[in-house]
Amino acid sequence: MKMTKIYEGSHQWIMFGRDEGKPNNIIDTNQYVVRTPNRCLLLDPGGAELFAPMMAAVLHHAPVDQITDLFASHQDPDVISSLGLWDQALTNAKLHAPAIWEGFLRHYSCESIEYVPIPDNGGTIKLESVELQLIPAHYLHSSGNFHVYDPQAKILMSGDVGAAIEAPDSPIFVDNFAAHVEKMRYWHQRWMPSNQAKRVWIERVRNLDIDILAPQHGRMFKGDDVKRFLDWFDALQVGIAV
Amino acid sequence: MTNQTKSQFIAVASITSELSAVMVVAKEISLAAANAKAIAFRAGDKAKGFQPITDFINELAKETIELVTNINIYALVLYRLTVNEFQKTTAYNKFEAAAKMAEGAVYAKSMQDPVDQAKLSMQDCQRQFKRDVSQLLGQLEAVMHHARAARVIAANSRIEASQAGEYLQSLQAVAESVDKAAHTIHDNVQRCRIALSIYRNS
Ligand SMILES: [Fe+2]
Ligand SMILES: [Fe+2]
Repeated sequence: MKMTKIYEGSHQWIMFGRDEGKPNNIIDTNQYVVRTPNRCLLLDPGGAELFAPMMAAVLHHAPVDQITDLFASHQDPDVISSLGLWDQALTNAKLHAPAIWEGFLRHYSCESIEYVPIPDNGGTIKLESVELQLIPAHYLHSSGNFHVYDPQAKILMSGDVGAAIEAPDSPIFVDNFAAHVEKMRYWHQRWMPSNQAKRVWIERVRNLDIDILAPQHGRMFKGDDVKRFLDWFDALQVGIAV
Repeated sequence: MTNQTKSQFIAVASITSELSAVMVVAKEISLAAANAKAIAFRAGDKAKGFQPITDFINELAKETIELVTNINIYALVLYRLTVNEFQKTTAYNKFEAAAKMAEGAVYAKSMQDPVDQAKLSMQDCQRQFKRDVSQLLGQLEAVMHHARAARVIAANSRIEASQAGEYLQSLQAVAESVDKAAHTIHDNVQRCRIALSIYRNS
């Protein structure tokens, strides 16, 4: 598992991904960790297959008992099917996840972890002195879906929005936006169901000051590429399967 | 899933399926008893020796049904335990893998506690499973005992039937069906026991 620090300030953001040990037939995912002095939040901690390498990677940054918070942007297995394992490994943790998915996510087993339901209009996660905003992103692509915005680090963790299917050893940042578009087009057209939801989300996100847009698959967008992405997404027709 | 876990799941599932067949047969016996009672009543003095036997058959059938109902509840507990054990074992293996992969990491040692805990709960499940299997085997033994008793009664019924004059045939049919049913119960329960016996507390 590759680890890259993408923000270093009063707290840290670390990106985990491009796992060499990953079986070929499961989709590659990016996991993000927000680390404060005594606590640690895992964003979209990943599938059950990824649990051991992910846990091992996190141990480079925090001890198990400081992993206090998990966040699931939505209910997909590549996002959170590891929940049952985290549930047995962590003794005092919270899972922040969309309220409407609670009864579904509990199928993965969530007994010792406290499920903190995120209401449809969003909320915050407080991690010591850091306050992260939970930005509604419903229907992008899941009907109950949130992104995480850190106003201090200026990072938006954007779940499946901005995702691309990439070669396992590809760089972690987009370096040629025009070339990258082709890797994203079908993904967004096919997985994103609603043009209206997309419009509302873009309007909301354009008001945020973003340095890094960090999706759950593929590469991150930095600087001007963030705006390029929003413009490109704005113009794209989605929901093409009907 | 390991082969051991797979066969454990299959063993537990087979109890429920074998026992539902036993239930059907026990109900048949109960019906045969009611039938025999009616015939014995009509036969009057000619079937005097048969009357207490019908009550006995009926009681035996009722007890078997009760036993099997209890065992079914137990089998469900055993199934949940198997699921639980599977989850704990998976967790333990993954935790161990994580600990190994984390070698050299600053906080690698902090993984030891979850590994130890997972191992303990896995072993707990294994022990409890063995304990519960032993108890279940005891209950299955009781059903077998009932089936054997039913076969003895069936043999007696045949003798009594031979003295029942024109009722001989119908009473013999009753004895026959009790015997057949007892045989089926015996075989099914025996299969359950064989499937489970490898998990018994040794
Ligand atoms: Fe998804
Ligand atoms: Fe995804």
